[in-house]
Amino acid sequence: MGANISQLERDIGSDQFPPNEHYFGLVNFGNTCYSNSVLQALYFCKPFREKVLEYKARNKRTKETLLTCLADLFYSIATQKKKVGSIAPKKFIARLRKEKEEFDNYMQQDAHEFLNFLINHINEIILAERHQSSCKPKMGIGEGPTPQPEPTWVHEIFQGILTSETRCLNCETVSSKDEDFFDLQVDVDQNTSITHCLKCFSNTETLCSDNKFKCDHCSSYQEAQKRMRVKKLPMILALHLKRFKYMEQYNRHIKVSHRVVFPLELRLFNTSDDAVNPDRLYDLVAVVIHCGSGPNRGHYISIVKSHGFWLLFDDDMVDKIDASTIEDFYGLTSDIQKSSETGYILFYQSRDCV
Amino acid sequence: MYKGTNPTCHDFNVVTMTPDSVSLVVGFSTGQIQLIDPIKKELSKLYNEERLIDKTKVTCIRWVPGSTNLFLVSHSSGQLYLYNEELPCGTAPPHYQPFKQGDGYAIHTCKTKSTRNPLYRWVIGSEGCCINEFAFSPCGTCLAVVSQDGFLRVFHYDTMELLGSARSYFGGFLCVCWSPDGRYVVVGGEDDLVTVWSFHERRVVARGQGHRSWVSVVAFDPYTTSYSEQDGTVDFSGGSDDETTQQNHTPNCTLSSGSSERSSVTRNSGNQASNRNSSGSDFNRMNAATCYRLGSVGQDTQLCLWDITEDVLRQPMCSKLRTSGVGGSGTFGVNGLAAGGAYHLNSMGGCVPRCNNVSTTLQTNAVASKDKECLADGNATHFHGMNMHNNSSAPSLTQRLAGLGFGDRKDGSGTHKRNFSLASRGGSTGGDKNNSSYRGSGTSNRTSADDPMRLIGTGACPRFDECPVLEPLICKKIAHERLTALIFREDCFVTACQDGYVYTWARPGKMGLASHIPSSPTTVTAAAVGGGIGPSGTVV
Ligand SMILES: [Zn+2]
Repeated sequence: MGANISQLERDIGSDQFPPNEHYFGLVNFGNTCYSNSVLQALYFCKPFREKVLEYKARNKRTKETLLTCLADLFYSIATQKKKVGSIAPKKFIARLRKEKEEFDNYMQQDAHEFLNFLINHINEIILAERHQSSCKPKMGIGEGPTPQPEPTWVHEIFQGILTSETRCLNCETVSSKDEDFFDLQVDVDQNTSITHCLKCFSNTETLCSDNKFKCDHCSSYQEAQKRMRVKKLPMILALHLKRFKYMEQYNRHIKVSHRVVFPLELRLFNTSDDAVNPDRLYDLVAVVIHCGSGPNRGHYISIVKSHGFWLLFDDDMVDKIDASTIEDFYGLTSDIQKSSETGYILFYQSRDCV
Repeated sequence: MYKGTNPTCHDFNVVTMTPDSVSLVVGFSTGQIQLIDPIKKELSKLYNEERLIDKTKVTCIRWVPGSTNLFLVSHSSGQLYLYNEELPCGTAPPHYQPFKQGDGYAIHTCKTKSTRNPLYRWVIGSEGCCINEFAFSPCGTCLAVVSQDGFLRVFHYDTMELLGSARSYFGGFLCVCWSPDGRYVVVGGEDDLVTVWSFHERRVVARGQGHRSWVSVVAFDPYTTSYSEQDGTVDFSGGSDDETTQQNHTPNCTLSSGSSERSSVTRNSGNQASNRNSSGSDFNRMNAATCYRLGSVGQDTQLCLWDITEDVLRQPMCSKLRTSGVGGSGTFGVNGLAAGGAYHLNSMGGCVPRCNNVSTTLQTNAVASKDKECLADGNATHFHGMNMHNNSSAPSLTQRLAGLGFGDRKDGSGTHKRNFSLASRGGSTGGDKNNSSYRGSGTSNRTSADDPMRLIGTGACPRFDECPVLEPLICKKIAHERLTALIFREDCFVTACQDGYVYTWARPGKMGLASHIPSSPTTVTAAAVGGGIGPSGTVV
């Protein structure tokens, strides 16, 4: 391992090594690579890292939560004397296993489920802590009804808004409904791009037969057309490629290794007409990669962009990689091979936030 | 020829070509360049053999139009070099001195007493940003370069002036071509779009949306492009008020080659220069097209055919074209415009897009992967045989073509063979993984003029709803692997894909002719089976 570490420094070059940056691998505690890969990706989502470290600085003596464990871990990486090495995220994993029983074992978990849990859980912790601190001194003052809760920094970073527009095919009335999202989950097709998958995400679907739409105007269930488009583009756009498909004939999830290319830059085509910033430009900053043949087997690694170059984190190992190797993670054009190393969660960061 | 390296691109010299000799330059994934004669079978010369000039992959190679001995080579390092096949490459790495600099590019010459290769080095875009392809205009005057930084840059080749640029909607531009009349440059890229850039207006005039993944090759079909009868300028159906501004809407081939000191180096053969001029005046006499037929292939394994009509291209940049409401796609098809617009297609009277007309008996696409020069064997007479579409009364071109599909290609024995020598574009086994600057993302020396955040909403990169969005006439999956080549010929077109298969697709009614394509020992062209498709006017 020691040789590997010094190799990374040599690859980057001591004069090129970004000041105040640390590249630390995370030790695997038995199938915890689903967590390690997501944590590395999040650490290199700069706005997220900054907010977590800020939280650490502001909250010196709070009771242990998953957020304080995450903040301690990020702080520990950010304040290492050495530039490269590895760290054991022991406290974080222990806390995670306490928080959610699904993760309280030594099985391989789904990295996206973990990300989803982590983001939502952190957001709830912040909301709960805000509630505590704002309610206690205000006791008895008696203001009006509580206004719409102010967004947390988790909202500010990851939250976007989808608007679903539904047109009743009977009365032609169009109704729309907004919903928040922290990531978009897209189906994957063979030999496509993430751009195409996102477009399909917003394709118009017809609601009919069992799935009719309850039209308020007609006061009855009617056939309708529906489509979902992005109304508010998030600062960090997390895209989950749905590569694990349930196959009835096998009675289990099968990995879809289709080749889906993802560019280093992205704009969205599936924005709504009233979108605030529809031509926001995104840069790819991190990718969680699934290696192997199924959701409960195999391995997770991540690649991240830092100071203009790309790094590959494989648990406790860190390597500098060339941007041209990213294409190795697009997927496979044939279904013959069972195992593949494929992009699973993409993190795009808006350029106007840096 | 080498171990651990493979050919990536090639070009035949159409000036020196004879029935028994041809100069073929081949670029390799590890940076070397080889000049061979596949007819005489003599291995001739190697350039950048010790990789002292550039260690990175050769991405595109072209003979300078009209030149017997000059060729231009781009690398994934973001550099473009001019070589003279007669000059040595030297035994030491070249020392450069600045020659010319402009917005987003710099040109250097070698600092040596005796002339050596490379004659010029062009550094384009931000540092280490891969040049994916370049193309000379049909008249040879202009050079269009596309890079991984998402830019199309169009230069006057002789004066080395940057004439204009465009920015992708996002991601790198991967491929580039000129319309046969030189009035438009079309690029394809990682935004899954086909982008049409007007040379005259120096702006993006249309985008084509139809591919499901990155666009790897764009090519005009000169045989199905229709031309107006007038010489010189086109009748833009009433838009006469700004006719004067249309004067220079094509790369002006008669433009004097600015710096004389340079022309002495680059065009060191007198009769070659005159050759160029004469071809230029041919070009000026040529009629401008009224409806362009464009083809594109991509990583989605699809072929798209597009009709680009003058009335779409003539739309001024407008602020909002987006339609709203559920069900509306937010785009509009070219057919809608074509029906509404006053576009009249004259009967064929045009001449062939100027290319260096070479002996048609010499079909030298032995290593054919993406050699657009192969189109040069076009001959004006063939045009008259085609009943070009006269769809003034047609309700919808798209509708009428919608029923036409590709005949199912019988995947049987003998319809295709492997071609070992095909370019491995984007192949993951490329030899040069340690080139840290490939697809470089260095934002360091990006000038403000290159900032895509500033360019959005300008002519270089209109917002998506500020620019007409074309829909393909035909969009069809034609392979199992991603497509890497598309060449239009008189009676067919040829595609190739990543796994090494080459397919020849007959045009309707040209089935018999398609089989005449000769097979040299290394050629693996195979005639297509099945109905073929209808890119020519005969089906319309
Ligand atoms: Zn209704």
